[in-house]
Amino acid sequence: MADHHLEIDNLVKTYPGALKPSVDRVSLSLPRGEMLALLGPSGCGKTTILRMIAGLIPVTAGEIRLDGRGISAIPVHKRNMGMVFQAYALFPHMTVAENIGFGLEMRGVGKAERTERVLKALDLVKLSGYGERRVSQLSGGQQQRAAIARSLVIEPALLLFDEPLSNLDAKLRDEMRDEIRDIQNRTGVTSIFVTHDQDEALSMADRLAVMSEGRLEQIGTPRQIFDRPRTDFVASFIGAGSFLTGTVVAPGRADVPGLGILHFTGDVPAGGKARFLVRPHRFVLGEGVNAFSGVVEHVVYRGQILTIAVRAGDHRLQADLPTHAATLPAKGDRVTLSVAPDDVTLVGEAA
Amino acid sequence: MAAVRHSSSDGSSHRGMLLLLLLPGLLALLTTFLLPLIWLVRASFASSAVAALKGGDWTLESYRTVLYDPFYWKVAWNTLYLGVNVAIFAVALSYPIALFLARTKSRWRGVLTALAVAPLLTSSVVRTYGWMVILGDRGVINAALQSSGLTDGVIRLTNNYFGATVALVEILMPYAILAMLSGFGRLNTQFEEAAALLGANRFRVFTRIILPLSLPGVLTAALLVFVLAISSFVTPRLMGGGRVFVIGTEVYNEATVTLNWPLAAALSVLLLVLFGSVILIYQRAMRALET
Ligand SMILES: Nc1ncnc2c1ncn2[C@@H]1O[C@H](COP(=O)(O)OP(=O)(O)OP(=O)(O)O)[C@@H](O)[C@H]1O
Ligand SMILES: [Mg+2]
Repeated sequence: MADHHLEIDNLVKTYPGALKPSVDRVSLSLPRGEMLALLGPSGCGKTTILRMIAGLIPVTAGEIRLDGRGISAIPVHKRNMGMVFQAYALFPHMTVAENIGFGLEMRGVGKAERTERVLKALDLVKLSGYGERRVSQLSGGQQQRAAIARSLVIEPALLLFDEPLSNLDAKLRDEMRDEIRDIQNRTGVTSIFVTHDQDEALSMADRLAVMSEGRLEQIGTPRQIFDRPRTDFVASFIGAGSFLTGTVVAPGRADVPGLGILHFTGDVPAGGKARFLVRPHRFVLGEGVNAFSGVVEHVVYRGQILTIAVRAGDHRLQADLPTHAATLPAKGDRVTLSVAPDDVTLVGEAA
Repeated sequence: MAAVRHSSSDGSSHRGMLLLLLLPGLLALLTTFLLPLIWLVRASFASSAVAALKGGDWTLESYRTVLYDPFYWKVAWNTLYLGVNVAIFAVALSYPIALFLARTKSRWRGVLTALAVAPLLTSSVVRTYGWMVILGDRGVINAALQSSGLTDGVIRLTNNYFGATVALVEILMPYAILAMLSGFGRLNTQFEEAAALLGANRFRVFTRIILPLSLPGVLTAALLVFVLAISSFVTPRLMGGGRVFVIGTEVYNEATVTLNWPLAAALSVLLLVLFGSVILIYQRAMRALET
């Protein structure tokens, strides 16, 4: 366990006067240098976890350990945590350089060294030459960079981001996404960032922790989360797909009522019930092992792909088809969709 | 071209509409503020009350009196001194209250704010009489001191600048609180949290974040209290018992007792000049704070 930089053990937070906990027995751990995305719908407790790690709010129960030592009793100003707020929280009465130097000043770092380290930090976030500006004279993206520099310059134990990109427009968001990832790679600082944008989480993080209503649903690499979701919630929160429930009739074969036999890979004993998920882009047009015919009910053209909804038996299957095909299905057409057994995701055994 | 012309004519009709809407307000300002002000300035250059009413020669006589009579220098000094003292104490006492009200997350915040400014519901004359009862020679404080044997004689708490200052501080505190609350817009707990995360303890969060960010509100409150204090008349008059000489009381004296309207007008102009300079200083300071 010593190889884990941060460990969170059965963390619980119940706000005063609240009926149920906002964070409910969450356990996870991060190796040094990892970037973890905390993902989940609004109100699921992401910010609450971050604020407990930062020391801004007390924990109700459970442990937060850094390098094996409990830190729950350390007051916020001694915890050495870097945090980038959604609205940046740059001090409006100070210049950019004063903002970045603030943490060093609080640590009693001398003026000369401070200036030098502030310049380095400005350079790291590509803000060289902006040090003497007022915060209000920076663009949103530049404020974001300044906030990151301010958190990094103190060499924090962890870098925490609370929805760092949600105040930026789409183009800048993509740019800052790469930028943040790059800065994190170069500094090697163990980071957690909160988001409710799955693209952001999938593209930026080493691992994802998906939360729902205060509980941790699943934690894993982007690939594991996307291709092997363990619960319906994770499967539907990350990407779209068609859910199917069936009774396993033989190894690798399930009978899905109202659809037919579904071939899959995975170990479920015959006689049991199981939940399956097929991602839209796994379906192909034409005959195959798992072939289902139906009428196209709905068509959305999206440039690269064509999303169709097909009524097959009692089910509505969603498929993303590449648009370079010669003829594309239209609404009302009869089509056959198929999916390879390997591309059928076993979500879990159903009750 | 057509589009441009269209939009410009549109803009001017819009401006016309605005002017029309402003008209009642402008008229009210003109008749209740600007015209009396012009008349006041004119009166300060008149040779007598009659001349002030009817017009006539222009003379600098009143200003000469104000400038060369040491008594009026003393009055001006007293006024400034009272104003500064009242501003300092009212702001110092209101600051913690306003800070608490601005930062609290209690659901009683609205009620507490209303309570803090509730004294505005009673007239300042009534509150001044209240202070006379408390601070008077036979008032609550003196009675308590004497019956407890701490003092033999009467301690003068009224009929002097002390009494006027105390009463004005209390009377003007609600204004200070309101002005601060409206000037604390830049306070935000996120800044405090960010500072704490960067290693600032509570004391430094206060000195480095809360205090500088609340300074515009403090300044606005100080200006408001100062202006209200130096232009006050009822409280210095009642609490001063004729022994407190400030511009407000002297204007009243000259206007109603001595009937030297030109002098009263000249003193009022002096007060206006004081206002003007203080507001200039305030604007400078605000600009320095906000860039
Ligand atoms: N200070 C507080 N007092 C009481 N309840 C709170 C407080 N802060 C948050 N909560 C509650 O705790 C739950 C989790 O809130 P939290 O802010 O952690 O959600 P979140 O996952 O960050 O959501 P979002 O994506 O909207 O930011 C919510 O139900 C919220 O109402
Ligand atoms: Mg949040």
